[in-house]
Amino acid sequence: MGGKVTCTLGEVKNRADFIVYWGGNPAECHPRHFTKYTLMQKSRWLPRGRKDRTMVLVDIRETKSAKAADIFLQVRPGCDFELLSILRAMVRDEPVDPDAVAETGIAYDVLEDLVRRMKSCRFGCMFFGMGLSMTRGKHMNSAALLTLAAELNAFTKFVAMPMRGHGNVTGADVIMRWQTGYPFGITFNRGYPRYNPGEFSTVDVLVRGDCDAAFIIGADPGATMPQPAIDHLARIPTIVLDPHVTHTSRLARVHITTAPAGIAAPGTAYRMDEIPLPLKPALKSPYPTDEEIVRRIREAVATRPFWMPEDSPQMTTEQL
Amino acid sequence: MIRLTLKRPPAVPLEAEVLSPSLLAGLSHTEICGLHLYHGKRRMRVDEFFDVEGERSSTVDITGDLRRVRWLGRGMTDGTLTIHGSAGMHLGARMKGGRIEVFGNADDWVGAEMTNGLVRIHGHAGGQIGGAYRGSLRGMKNGTIIVEGTAGLEVGLRMRRGTIVIGGRVRDFCGLQMKGGTIILLDGAEIRTGAWMNRGTILSLRSLKLLPTFRFACYDNPTFIGVHARFLKPLGIRLPHAPTEGSWARYCGDFCVPGKGEIFIWHPAAAPEPAVSEL
Repeated sequence: MGGKVTCTLGEVKNRADFIVYWGGNPAECHPRHFTKYTLMQKSRWLPRGRKDRTMVLVDIRETKSAKAADIFLQVRPGCDFELLSILRAMVRDEPVDPDAVAETGIAYDVLEDLVRRMKSCRFGCMFFGMGLSMTRGKHMNSAALLTLAAELNAFTKFVAMPMRGHGNVTGADVIMRWQTGYPFGITFNRGYPRYNPGEFSTVDVLVRGDCDAAFIIGADPGATMPQPAIDHLARIPTIVLDPHVTHTSRLARVHITTAPAGIAAPGTAYRMDEIPLPLKPALKSPYPTDEEIVRRIREAVATRPFWMPEDSPQMTTEQL
Repeated sequence: MIRLTLKRPPAVPLEAEVLSPSLLAGLSHTEICGLHLYHGKRRMRVDEFFDVEGERSSTVDITGDLRRVRWLGRGMTDGTLTIHGSAGMHLGARMKGGRIEVFGNADDWVGAEMTNGLVRIHGHAGGQIGGAYRGSLRGMKNGTIIVEGTAGLEVGLRMRRGTIVIGGRVRDFCGLQMKGGTIILLDGAEIRTGAWMNRGTILSLRSLKLLPTFRFACYDNPTFIGVHARFLKPLGIRLPHAPTEGSWARYCGDFCVPGKGEIFIWHPAAAPEPAVSEL
């Protein structure tokens, strides 16, 4: 695995002369991304702004973002992993069958030109969206793109970054990472964190019906998750903390209205490049903040003894 | 023989890593009943979930709907574990020897990171069979896993050595990042077979849709397939290998990594060999 080679959006704004958006539609989903960071800004290293930058869009259909792109590559749906594999092979100068390349919906010479541009740019950046990470192949699609970005560092500076969605999802990942060592898909049932996406990730736990209660903060799984997961949420006691009444609130036993973060509640939000930004509330809310509710629940739970007996063995991988 | 019968299905996953023949072999009936299982976060005694018969034996029979019972036979070194019903995740994970037989289905991570032994599933199995846990570099290092039904995603994820045989159809990413060993597919696989494989061998009796980063090499009847066929014969699996029966098309890859892996696809003699340009 390659891991993630990344940077901040400040670096992208000042230095990135080659931008790839893969499986995302920033013109409609992240409307300020072009103007604030990736395309329009001028800097010491890119004095002519947009003219000094090249933007490539890879997607399965021509979205509004295609108008802003210099090169638009329309990949056949479900062929992202194949296309990334071909690019990785071409970067390594391995011969690839042009007919096999054509099956991905993109001609061989177009890819040759793309690889030449990728290798010859000064600072490349790839942004990828749900069109890549949530289609067939899922985490392996993202892994292929991140590995391609890592391997391009043999030729030039290249980074990759996910286009994160609404809410403070990056913040959730970052906090879980420094608290437990893992970003998501964690269980604490043995008293210490264990990580296994597919076994402990929320959607899998709900679809299999492996939990007997759910506590949901700042998310609306009732609107986004598959039907078996929603059915399970309706079966078990579900508690929702949200400023609004959501789809999940409607099937929950308890809904606690909270003050909206950033408007009436202070806190820290993480930008998609994992930069923490403090939030200053502009208004006062009659409702408590998420933090206050969780702290009060935690204080009530802390009065009870720790559930795990002292001599419980750990299920660490080193045990055997 | 030790016989365990599930009394009631667990409401949440039951982590039962103590139910391994090599651990139970030296214990009396009372000691077995007093072992700990983890029902969610609650610690429970074995006799709260299972009726226990017998003691001091390395032959263990477990009966019931065990779909939520995880880690059965974890790290076992010898003995026999027979499961009548469907087993949960991590069956035989990290096992070092012995034999597991399941008359039913199994879930993900069967025989993950095992180093030796035999696992046989008579029904279907989930994904990551013989795989490496997240963050780990190597999957199974030796041993044999046989699944008679279908299997899920990422079969043989990062496996290092050993043999996996799947009777039914396998889903995507079979042999992902393989570093060695052999996967035998008796009924083919869906897409992306052998993705990112460094070394290792995948044999398929049905045609496969390969990644564009694989290259055709030759038609061949290599000797080692005959050796595999002889090894699998006592296990009731017939692998064709004689030149009179047909030949294997050999593909090399995966060329997006330093790929020295190989995929063999069987062409029976009755069907004419496709011309190289058609591949």
